[in-house]
Amino acid sequence: MAEGRASVHGVGVGDTDALLATRLAAGDDRALAEVFDRLAPAVYSGALRVLGHDAAAQDVVQDVFVELWGHPGRYDPDTGSLRTYLTMQARHRAVDLVRAEMRRAARQERSSRLEPGQPDPSAYEQMMASETAAAVRAAVEKLPESQRRIVELAYFKGLTCREAAQAAGIPEGTAKSRLRLALAKLETVLDRQLLESS
Amino acid sequence: MTAAEQRPALPDGLRDRVLAASLRARAAGRPEPAAPEITAAEAYSRAADAFYGMLGVLQEEDWDRPALRGLDVQGLVGHLTGVEEDVHRCLAGDPQVAQASHVGSTQAAADRQAGRSPAQTRAEWRHAADRTLDLVHAAGDTDAEVAVHGMRLPLGMLLVVRAFELWIHDNDIRQAAGLPPSVPDPSTLSLMTQAAAQFLPHAAAREGLREPTSVHLVLTGPGGGTWDIPIGDGPPAPAPVGIIADAVGFCRLVANRATPEGLGLHITGDPDRATVVLAAASTLALD
Repeated sequence: MAEGRASVHGVGVGDTDALLATRLAAGDDRALAEVFDRLAPAVYSGALRVLGHDAAAQDVVQDVFVELWGHPGRYDPDTGSLRTYLTMQARHRAVDLVRAEMRRAARQERSSRLEPGQPDPSAYEQMMASETAAAVRAAVEKLPESQRRIVELAYFKGLTCREAAQAAGIPEGTAKSRLRLALAKLETVLDRQLLESS
Repeated sequence: MTAAEQRPALPDGLRDRVLAASLRARAAGRPEPAAPEITAAEAYSRAADAFYGMLGVLQEEDWDRPALRGLDVQGLVGHLTGVEEDVHRCLAGDPQVAQASHVGSTQAAADRQAGRSPAQTRAEWRHAADRTLDLVHAAGDTDAEVAVHGMRLPLGMLLVVRAFELWIHDNDIRQAAGLPPSVPDPSTLSLMTQAAAQFLPHAAAREGLREPTSVHLVLTGPGGGTWDIPIGDGPPAPAPVGIIADAVGFCRLVANRATPEGLGLHITGDPDRATVVLAAASTLALD
């Protein structure tokens, strides 16, 4: 990039996040490409670390950049760097995907128990479920025993919260609160994985 | 090994896919948030109301202060009355105003303010501006071409140019009277920046800029946007000039009320060519 003269400044790698934000708001597609080239590797790598699946990680990257371009005003340079903002966005989306996958897997498992004649899931779904479950199971292993037990009953065995409470021999309210605590801790663990990778 | 070195390379095609999806969500060049769209007549009407309101807060002694080109504030308001009168003649189909000088043709209207009260001058200008709006509404078709003061352009664009000039002289008078500068509302400013971008190739051609150049113009802030503007003859040069400026600041530059150095512009590409383009932009001013 050529430098300008006097107080006319060159732009490029040294752009501040504030200037990039105003350029994005002005519809400058070159600014979008610059941000992508600079930060997409961190966003992708972080999403891949959490999700363990390339296609899902790519979807997260696309969601994060489409969101940035569509609503650039949601990024406030005064609150932190664009890198932090984008990796946080990726983290939230990746964790949401994991949660959704956990729910889907639990529903599928319960459904298959009730309806044994259901066809097998596709190869893609199996792979997705397997890779995501591996990441989640690793995180679940780090939970306290009481919380791990209720998560395993509710999600991996597909029991309802009431059924899980009965199986664990605890009141339903206690099961619910342990599940909430467990999910919050899972999110923290998965978040850390993403942040470490970004 | 650093964290960056451990990162996997981006999958093939991801960049193109993400950028394409983004631009489907919002087209390149379109600002976010976009200013609500208004008509050119509305922009002119708003600029006229703002100008009239500003005149209303001037003190008696402000009307004698030097404002522009040897005109005091009262004379400058008279000049604007003269411009409105030429627009009236233009809308009435008078060919003589097509090539009339913007300054020379309105000098008589400026001169006749001498000895009048500020209230008379202000009322005469308001009457002339209202008459312009009446004639525009009667004309109906703002896409129809009109010719006045050396410009041939659609009536709607003429109204944007008029709004632009009112805002600039509003600020000339504010400066003379020691009042703080004003900024057009985003909708009006958006029409002004669009007009400035549209006129840039004409200004460059008028200044003799023949070498092909593509200008990537990014105007930031409310009323801004992004344009890729071919300048010169032939296909654009492969390494375009990029200019990033505040939208209001760029409009002041186009009106020759600010310099590139004073705006803190950001440029990419050939700085010498950017300087020439910016110099051409400042010749769009109508004084």
